[in-house]
Amino acid sequence: MKQELIAIREKETAVRIQNSQINAVRLKDIVKKGVRVYENGKIGIAGAIGDISEDTLVENAVQNLSTGIDYPYPLSTNKDRRCYNDKPMTAEELLAQAESVLAVLRREYSDFSFSETIAAAEIVQEMRNSEGLDLEYKDAFFSLGLILKDKKSANLFDGFIVCEGRQFDPDQFWNITRPLLEAYRTPVALPAGETLPILSFDISGTLGFLAKSLHGERYATGSSLFSGKMGQQLFNEKIALEQNRNPKFGPTAFFDMEGVVLKEDRYPLIEAGKLVSVFTDKKTAGLYNLPHTGAAGGEYDSMPGLTAARNTPIPLRFKTDSGDLKAALKGQPAILVVASSGGDFTPDGSFAAPVQVSFLFDGERIVGKLPEFTMRSHLYKMLGQDYIGTFDNTAFYLGDLPTQLQSCYMTIMR
Amino acid sequence: MFKFPQGLYVDVRIEETFDTKISFKKKELQEEKIRNNKGAFIRVFDGKRWYYSSTTNVAGIQEQIDALAKMAVPDPNILQHPIVQAFEVHRESQIQHDKQSITDIPVRDKLELLESYLALITDPAIVHHTSYYVDNKTIKSIYSSKGTAVTFDKQTCGIRLTLELACGEKKDQATVSKAAVNFAELQRLEEFISAEIEKSVACTRDAEPVTPGEYTVLLSPEATGVFTHESFGHKSESDFMVGDETMKAEWALGKTIGPEGLTIIDDGGASGSGYTPYDDEGTKAKKTFIISKGILSGRLHSAATSAALEEPLTGNARAMNFEFEPIVRMTMTYIDKGDRPLQAIVAEIQKGIYVETIKHGSGMSTFTLAPARAYKIEKGRITTPVKISVITGSVFETLADVDAVSSEFELLSFVGGGCGKMEQWPLPVGFGGPYTRVKKLKVQ
Repeated sequence: MKQELIAIREKETAVRIQNSQINAVRLKDIVKKGVRVYENGKIGIAGAIGDISEDTLVENAVQNLSTGIDYPYPLSTNKDRRCYNDKPMTAEELLAQAESVLAVLRREYSDFSFSETIAAAEIVQEMRNSEGLDLEYKDAFFSLGLILKDKKSANLFDGFIVCEGRQFDPDQFWNITRPLLEAYRTPVALPAGETLPILSFDISGTLGFLAKSLHGERYATGSSLFSGKMGQQLFNEKIALEQNRNPKFGPTAFFDMEGVVLKEDRYPLIEAGKLVSVFTDKKTAGLYNLPHTGAAGGEYDSMPGLTAARNTPIPLRFKTDSGDLKAALKGQPAILVVASSGGDFTPDGSFAAPVQVSFLFDGERIVGKLPEFTMRSHLYKMLGQDYIGTFDNTAFYLGDLPTQLQSCYMTIMR
Repeated sequence: MFKFPQGLYVDVRIEETFDTKISFKKKELQEEKIRNNKGAFIRVFDGKRWYYSSTTNVAGIQEQIDALAKMAVPDPNILQHPIVQAFEVHRESQIQHDKQSITDIPVRDKLELLESYLALITDPAIVHHTSYYVDNKTIKSIYSSKGTAVTFDKQTCGIRLTLELACGEKKDQATVSKAAVNFAELQRLEEFISAEIEKSVACTRDAEPVTPGEYTVLLSPEATGVFTHESFGHKSESDFMVGDETMKAEWALGKTIGPEGLTIIDDGGASGSGYTPYDDEGTKAKKTFIISKGILSGRLHSAATSAALEEPLTGNARAMNFEFEPIVRMTMTYIDKGDRPLQAIVAEIQKGIYVETIKHGSGMSTFTLAPARAYKIEKGRITTPVKISVITGSVFETLADVDAVSSEFELLSFVGGGCGKMEQWPLPVGFGGPYTRVKKLKVQ
């Protein structure tokens, strides 16, 4: 009988903030363990939180073999142990940084109140098996996520300031946060025109819709928007999208939940606007004769599968395809979207979303805060004829993780 | 049970959870898992700052209390602090699921129930499907240095069928689900499931793109629930109001913000996925009238917000699980039923949209509803299905545009998903209400 162990240890110190004051300090120390056993082409699973013995978990997993669930796939045998931050911020350093940030916010921006969390977290995620698999991802990261409320506003909140990374650089943080907060104080009108360039940091809505359509099982069974379109030109020739597990882009493990490590941590799905692959785990690849892309997700004690879980999102990332943001905007003012909550795509790709917080951007600097509006487009237009580009974000410091800005034209509903 | 340090307020919440998850892809079993977990959340308050710890080492709670106490500065008058004074003290055990406990149902019975419904998925437009049975039983115990010692249980179970649909080039994904408190309520659902599948297939096959614009919108009880939760429920969570004079003035109790026929209630005692007999600070569930006949009449509170705003406790301090501190959250939130029959309300709509089911919603200054199934209303009749990205409205204006609520009424529970508030997502909540007509909403 073969055995596999997954262990996740999460430690966190979080400073909870209310009305620009520290209201609470929260400490977290959580251990989660999962065991899988494999025998005669079947799999059994078990898991628990806390410091439970591996022997107990193995016993439970062996009992679970009686469910008779097939798993006739070879186990991964990679050996790779990586640490991305060996100098985690201590609780004392975190408190000092939080006090320092809040002191400036209270002194210089007393027309706003700030609430939510500044935290320092550490994670160790391990995966080992009896066939030689030995993976460890170790990391530590800082996150500042504050909601901003204009004291004269009756809204629940009016915006955000965000910074995430492995270290916190106060100088860089204030270099972008000060102009941003000034812009919050400076209301400006929406530029004229029915169609305007939109600039976004957060393209999770688009990536979520693409993830549905690039899902190997949906593709193979015919329910994906892209079914039957392998090799076809779907989008603008500039566009490249890949599965990317490189932790330099974000604090998630470099291996999937079947212990697969990709070459250079990436796998291309769309190249030069053409569909070249969909994403798969071992089972989907075998069942539907698709390339295996190492996209298994699941919780610590789950059956591995092609399912996004809270800790294992499908790691899709656009490749940066454009360099000069100002030149790409051709002198036209753009709308920098900071908060757009609640929008969605229809199944055929039509898109509409209200924009609650956005700024006017002149290609180099933020000019002021725009009123609320709704934007509308279609997936094939956003990533096709109306696509402007995906840029490395050098304009707005959001922490020391590399981030991107994506831009396209959209119809504006005032 | 615990040794609480002097000069500090302390409470401890221990959560024991039992979860079952069974899933099929088409007719092949994918997963059958039972999870038993235990964790604890500890809070220490010195009158100025809170100190929290969440741990999976339940045997080490006393050490955690002592460690947090070392970070705090004891105050000999801590019992006189307004927040500490606000805490209710109860000593009670309220175990109600010892007879029909989902822990006593053999996993084989759960699997066979789900498998029996797979036979209903026969339409050729359903090219793939994934099905789930899930249940959860949680036993919570809350102890405080003021003397609280309560233990209670809650449970939910449900099935969810996720259907991948393809009618030629028209593709969609639909979900059919049913949640319940007791396992027996999930049996004999064939008629319900078949009808839901049929409607989902018809929507995929026949839905037309909507012409964007402003419409009169009729909301089903499910859509009414999301609308209530997003358009107003979050506004009633009073942690957004503490220390904010503008919000206090804008949302002053006694202000008229809706029509006389509009009453909105939050009730933690209502059975279902929002059931919260005691909140996570040990406050007993209350039925809170947030809006009574169009007038703002209440807010949702934790002990801290109750003390700050000098309003009564409501039992709404809830945490997603033992990893988080309680914050102000909704429980079962709904519009109270009206006195007009649905048929009469529909008959009055010349041109509108009927929203039957919802994918998701959100509620900042603009609230949003993303419909799953929606239909045109033409000359008093519900007609063709339509594809809609999003429906939006202003939280400040829309309640005043509610012009009819039906006598038909339903409260709903859910499996999977839940309410998100900052880092705490998903928290199980319930919602529902009557069929509700809103004079104008933007439809895209």
